[in-house]
Amino acid sequence: MSSLRAMVASVRVGWYREFNWTNPLVGFTLRTVGPLASVIAASTVYYVGSINNVPPSFNPSLLAFILIGAALYAHVAAYSWVPTLAIAEGKWTYVFPQVYISPHSSLPYLTGRTLASFVTSTLTVIVSLILSFYILSSVFHTNIPFIVTPVSISLLFLAMVVNIFAALGLGLLLSAYALFATKFEWALPTYVAGLLMVFSEALFPVSSLPHPVSDVANVLPFTEFMRASRQAMIYGDMYSYFSYLGLAILGGIIVLALGLLAFRYAENRARRLGVIDKKTA
Amino acid sequence: MRLPSNPWLRTAYARLWVRAKSIYGEPLWVAVNIGFPFFTSFSLTMVYRAYGLNSFTGFAILGGVMISFWGNVLWSMASQFNWDKQVGLFEIYISSPAPISAILVGMSLGGILGTAPSAAMVALLGWAIFHPPINAVWPAVISVFALTLASLYAMGMALSSLYLAYGREADSVNEALHEPVSLISGVYFPSTGGLSPFPLAVQAGASLIPLTLGMDALRRTLFFGQGFGEFYLDLELLALAVMGVALLFASSKALKFLENKGRRTGTIAVRQR
Repeated sequence: MSSLRAMVASVRVGWYREFNWTNPLVGFTLRTVGPLASVIAASTVYYVGSINNVPPSFNPSLLAFILIGAALYAHVAAYSWVPTLAIAEGKWTYVFPQVYISPHSSLPYLTGRTLASFVTSTLTVIVSLILSFYILSSVFHTNIPFIVTPVSISLLFLAMVVNIFAALGLGLLLSAYALFATKFEWALPTYVAGLLMVFSEALFPVSSLPHPVSDVANVLPFTEFMRASRQAMIYGDMYSYFSYLGLAILGGIIVLALGLLAFRYAENRARRLGVIDKKTA
Repeated sequence: MRLPSNPWLRTAYARLWVRAKSIYGEPLWVAVNIGFPFFTSFSLTMVYRAYGLNSFTGFAILGGVMISFWGNVLWSMASQFNWDKQVGLFEIYISSPAPISAILVGMSLGGILGTAPSAAMVALLGWAIFHPPINAVWPAVISVFALTLASLYAMGMALSSLYLAYGREADSVNEALHEPVSLISGVYFPSTGGLSPFPLAVQAGASLIPLTLGMDALRRTLFFGQGFGEFYLDLELLALAVMGVALLFASSKALKFLENKGRRTGTIAVRQR
């Protein structure tokens, strides 16, 4: 019960950290502008290429494929690195050592911060999806074939919730490194975001990648999450949706278990070495 | 290196040296800096390629190269004085006889030198992996590249004075600016001209950003075989030069204004608002 209380308190800390420096509307707008622009940019890359191809090869279904992938990739990238940030930033602001010395608090703290960011990022991705849908439809003069029904939106949301397992697992794996790192941990998120963009089928099918890279990318829970989300919003095949969702859950649980093991091991080792509050090399 | 006892040159050199040393003294920074531009560029090149649009793959690789510099302008130029203020360094700058303009120029040159290895790595890896079709007029490419960087870093100097007035919102503004400017500047696709999907008003607005003109001019010289004497290219070069000078002038004026205002109100060294 105390862990749950600590987690709920950490969710609040996360929101305060993200929005309390300004009024919530400004904070939310600033957080939405980036993902919105990146979704439009990725979609425009495809549009410009396909329209100017000889002969033109524009296909609205592919535009929908990229739009969903770009939005969801930005969503995962935005919150999966939060545990790393919480540790790196926490070392500099002396927050993390304080969290650490209170009993059994580090894991609920990191989970709470991740969940806070998940909620924020879910809202920004929904706004980005809606706005980019309307902007791209009007600028490109096309109908983007989204299935917009209460069921499809619920299924998309379910896939996003399920993906928390994998994202938190990834976050904890990175945190295991961040406990020891003193200078390059800030760069990890860009690598994670970049790797997710390439290996999670965000913008192009992973089958385009060479073997065996494509085989690895093919079984990642993030890839299955993307596929399930596209089934919900574009293709509408329930059997495929639940198959992909099942694989995303299975993969997510494995990544989460690995993340927990790595974090526990790293935490014990960091405590023995006395580097929990270490800031410089 | 021995320099004449000109304080402006010595200051610029000192600031350049610190910035360059921070990268070259820790070569791992090159690997760190290459992450975002390389993976983004790789993914968007794959988008062009996976959907049968091979002739455009070079656009995404060029975008990866230039986004490295744009990131450096935003994070290591625009917000640098703000961070310097937070750690007390800006106070030392203004109380020393070192000219602020020399610090900014040194910071820019150091930033270019420091970003060059990661940008070059993106270019080399992109070229080696994807073999994009190139039809380059190299003297024009080099001139456009130099002028684009000069103009872009002049914008960084102007932004640095603006960010000096900000408090902790600077980082959030930076994060919010990065993607939208990349989008309308057409870093990965043409956002102006005949290939652009954007309405004319958006194209006109985008053309006020040096990165937009630079990207378009680079694409013309690198992929479409245009050289000096082509009307639009010459026009873009002229506009870049004018923008560079105007932004330099604006940054100098804005910094002076903020410095004077800060001295009057006693807030120039206040670290957090």
